[in-house]
This record gives sequence, C-alpha cells and structure tokens, in this order.
Amino acid sequence: MINVSNLSVRLGGRPVLHGISLEARPGALTAIVGPNGCGKTTTLKAISGELQPSGGTIRINGRDLRGLKPWELASMRGVLPQSTVISFPFTVREVVRLGLAAGANADAALHDRIAAEALEAVDLGGFAGRFYQELSGGEQQRVQLARVLCQISDPIIDGEPRYLLLDEPVSSLDIRHQLGIMQLARSFCERGGGVVAVMHDLNLTAMFADHMVMMKAGKVRASGAPAEVLTDETMEAVFGCRMRVGVAPAAPVPFVLPQTASL
Amino acid sequence: MPRSEALGRGMRLTGLAADIRSEWRAGNRARLARLVVAALTAVAIATFVGSIMTGAADASLANVWRWLIGEADQALSIRDRIIILDIRLPRAVLGMLVGASLAVSGVVMQGLFRNPLADPGLVGVSSGASLGAVLLIVLGTAAFGPLFALLGFYALPVAAFFGGLVTTLLLYRIATRGGQTSIATLLLAGIALGALTGAVTGVLVFMADDKQLRDLTFWGLGSLAGANWTKILASAPIILLSLAVTPFLARGLNAITLGEAAAFHMGIPVQRLKNVAIVSVAAATGASVAVSGGIGFVGIVVPHLLRLVIGPDHRYLLPASALLGGTLLILADMIARTIVSPAELPIGIVTAFIGAPFFLWILLRGRSNMGL
Repeated sequence: MINVSNLSVRLGGRPVLHGISLEARPGALTAIVGPNGCGKTTTLKAISGELQPSGGTIRINGRDLRGLKPWELASMRGVLPQSTVISFPFTVREVVRLGLAAGANADAALHDRIAAEALEAVDLGGFAGRFYQELSGGEQQRVQLARVLCQISDPIIDGEPRYLLLDEPVSSLDIRHQLGIMQLARSFCERGGGVVAVMHDLNLTAMFADHMVMMKAGKVRASGAPAEVLTDETMEAVFGCRMRVGVAPAAPVPFVLPQTASL
Repeated sequence: MPRSEALGRGMRLTGLAADIRSEWRAGNRARLARLVVAALTAVAIATFVGSIMTGAADASLANVWRWLIGEADQALSIRDRIIILDIRLPRAVLGMLVGASLAVSGVVMQGLFRNPLADPGLVGVSSGASLGAVLLIVLGTAAFGPLFALLGFYALPVAAFFGGLVTTLLLYRIATRGGQTSIATLLLAGIALGALTGAVTGVLVFMADDKQLRDLTFWGLGSLAGANWTKILASAPIILLSLAVTPFLARGLNAITLGEAAAFHMGIPVQRLKNVAIVSVAAATGASVAVSGGIGFVGIVVPHLLRLVIGPDHRYLLPASALLGGTLLILADMIARTIVSPAELPIGIVTAFIGAPFFLWILLRGRSNMGL
C-alpha cells in the first residue's frame, strides 16, 4: 500500500500541493487525472521520493519514505518519467540492462531472460541492438518502460507488493500501443503489484483504472471508482467543460466525447 | 569470457584482433569491450617499452638491463643508465599517468554532465588548476610559506587541485538547474571562467620575477619535458587514488546518463556520486596540470573514440580510456621530442594539432544529439 497523507509540496518557495491525501492499493491501478499544472506530476515525484515534501507523510508498505535509502526505494518501486533524452550512443539492450542493475534481481542467470521478456512485453522484441537515439519518441518511451519492468520484474517479492509509478505512460503512443501498455499495467496489478499512473486520456483511464484521483489546483477534488469520479458535475467543476458523460453500452464504463462539450 | 582469459589472449595480438572483429560483427559490445581492454593493455605496454627505447640520444636498453642484473661494465653503461632510468623512464611513467588521468577525468566529467563535449580542459577546470599553481609559484613563500613547509613538493599539486575544485563547483552551480545541465551554459560559463582565470594569471605573471617567469611559461604550453622522479612522487599518489575511485562510479555514471532523477529512481545516491566525481576530477586534473601544465584534448578525443567502438558503458569505458589516454600521450610525446630533434615541441602543441580538428569533427557529426 502506498499511503499519502496531507502532502504539501513547495517548488521554488511557491506552494504547489495543498494537503493531498490518497491511497494506492496493491492489486489496483490508481490513476491521477486533472487539468494541466494541477500538480499530478509533482504528486508522483513526491511519491517517488524525488521531491521533498514540505508537509505530510508518504508511506510505502508501511515504511516512511524519509527513512528509506535510494537503493531500498529502487527495489520497492520503479518510475517511468515523461520523456528521457540520452546523449550517449546506448543501444536498447544497454538501456534496458541499466534497469536490471538497479533492481532486486539478484540472480544474474535470469538477466538475459528478464530483459528479453521486458522488451517483448512492450512490443520491442528484435530492437535490442538498435540505438536508443535513433528510435521515435513512442519507441523510446516503451524502451524506458521496459527498463522499469526490468527493475521491478516481480510484482511481489518476499510477500511484499512492488509498485510502478508511471508519468503519462501512453502520452506519445499510437492507439494499439496505448491499449497494450495499459493492459500491461493491468496485468502487473492482477499479479499483486500496484500501479500509480498520471493520465491525460480520460477514456483510457475509465477503461483501465480501478481507482481514480481527480486533482485541481494542488488539491484532490474527487476520488473513487471511475464511474463515481467521472460525472457531468466534476467535468465542469475541474476542467471547466460543460459536457455529458456517457456510458458505453457493452460494458458499464463511462466515456466523454469532446463533441458534447461547450466551453 | 572471464577477464583473466581475455587478458591471456592479449599476449597473442593477432588472435585477439580476429576475436574483436567477430564480436564487432556480432554486435555484442560487452564482450567486445572486454577484448578491447585486453588489447589496449598490450598496446600500452608495448608503447611504454618502445618510448623508453627511442629518443634523440642513442642509448641501449640492453646495456641498462645488464647493469641492473649486475653483469655490465659500470663505466660503459653509466651514460645509457642516466638516459634511460633518469630521463626516458620518468617521462614515460609521467606520460602514462597524465594521459590516463586526463582521459579518465574527461569520461567522468562527460558522464556527470551527460554530454560528450564536457572536458576539464575545455570548460576551464584546467585553467582553474593552473591558476592555483601559478598563485602558489608567484605569491609563493610569502603567502603560502606554512603550506610549503607542511606539504613539501605536494604543495603544487594540492594548490592546483583546489583551483580545479573551485572551478568545477562553480561550473556545476552555474550550468545545472533542477538536475538538468545546459551544455550551452556549461561551455559558455567555461569560456567566461577561463577568461577570468586567464586574466588573474596574467596579473600574476606581470608581478612575477625572472625565475618565476621561467616556471610560468611552462604552464601555458604543457610539456612532459621536465619529468623526473620527484614530480612522479608528487603526482602519482593523487592521480592513482582518483583513478582507483572511478570504477566505483561506473554504475552510477551509467544510470545518470538517463538524468539525475532517473538515476535516483534506480537507487543511486546521486548527491554522493556527484561529490565523489567532482572531487576526483579536480584532483586528477589538478595533479596532472601541476606536473605537466595544460595538455588539451586528450580528455575529449579518447573517450569519444572509444564510445564509437565499445559503447558508452562506463564499466569498460573507464579502464579503456585510462589505457588509451596513457598510450596516446606517450605517442604524442614521442612525436614532440623527435619531430624537431634535437630540440622539442611542447606536447600541448601536438595534442592541440591532433585534437582540435577532431573536436570540430565531433561537433559537425553529432550536433543534434548534444543539445546544441
């Protein structure tokens, strides 16, 4: 369980988050949504330990983040940043192997297999020898995800769940890979791990998330199952879009159509 | 393949060359890197011995060997002995040390700033280190008397170390914001700091007396000509210690190529890594500058060439750069002392002639990947 309680963060002296509280359970995909600049990424950075909170506490599996060393954190959670520029000529295989060196996979004999499976999982089998710098943005994003999957290859180690923190994991992907990567995150949850993802696409979020946290201006405005959070009222209150939230006929999943909006 | 086996193969160079070709074709850079390190070890040893055997004067290594094992006629071999043991050997040892130190400092700095253009010589760390040394020479016993008394011949490398350290810290402060380093800011700040340290050095030169002036001229050019065992004793412990630390930085430097945040996510204690890296670069550069003046471009050419062949993995790049840096500097020194024999060129001129066009070539080739 990741437990954030009353989290406040200042960036350059300016308060950005005001008392955020949320829970991310293992076995569930928790999505953070909200308008640009509402503090989604800042929240994720605080959870990853990268930013020091000015107030409140964050616990992973019951342990306070402040008491954990970088290498202890690295065995508990992997982090996918929005985009990663590398100025040295690394091959895809070498980037993915950086994740292996970081994780808790003590058994070096399994490394080749874990790396190959991670690349296969993000649909980049056969890309191992290619240069990272020569790939497209979406392909680079998937290489980074494979790197994170190498770091946290098992959703549960020693009975304790592990977590993936994903910052807009599908932002530069085509629709097939958007679905594939969300499916991958889902299956990580089904195997006992936890996922916290910052998302922009509300429809994908509604399809795949178990728990949704909607933020506005550094505060949580609504949280719960997607059907509870995605309503006409929250859409207007949070995004300032007057629009109708529909429900897909095949499965009871809410959806929003931009065509219905009046700004 | 285990390292020892790879090193064993190093003895048979032709077989090794064939292995390197086949790994290159197979695209397996980790195994290729190990073979290249083995080959570079053999080449470094050969170059080292070769440089002891060649020079303006005619001296026989065999005679010295016979003297060492006690078989030679004392009178016959004394000249050869001085030429080889007191002139050429210290020069080769110093060349190897300084070359390795410059190349490894380049690798560490490039890793830290995540950019193949960062180099202690280019961004002003070397000029900061020379300023430290010049300050000590000119203000010397008046201002730093106790320091001399305390440190003896280590005073010069230590002064250069502090000069380099202050410059590196300043550069880092200026060019890095929120874990992201702007290479444009870094290079421009390097120019500004270089000009500033140059101006201060100029003032000091103006103040210097004749004897000090002779000492100072040497800093500008860079040379191994003054190599002797005292200089080696003064610089070797510092250089070897900084080089010995770098293998422990390899994993962290690999991770930090993805950014400081990503390195932290992967369990690297980033602040500690940066501190150790900055101190070791400053120490290695300072000690090198103190004994050989400013020798440019080794730190940029060597790592770049090696990255093209074995890739950017610091576990292999660091030892390979140390070996190739030492080898190339000894070769450059052989050119410097034979091309206008019996006079000699300052080695800094040779490395600049080779390095500056190479640097331009890197720029033209990879402009888009370097954030310029």
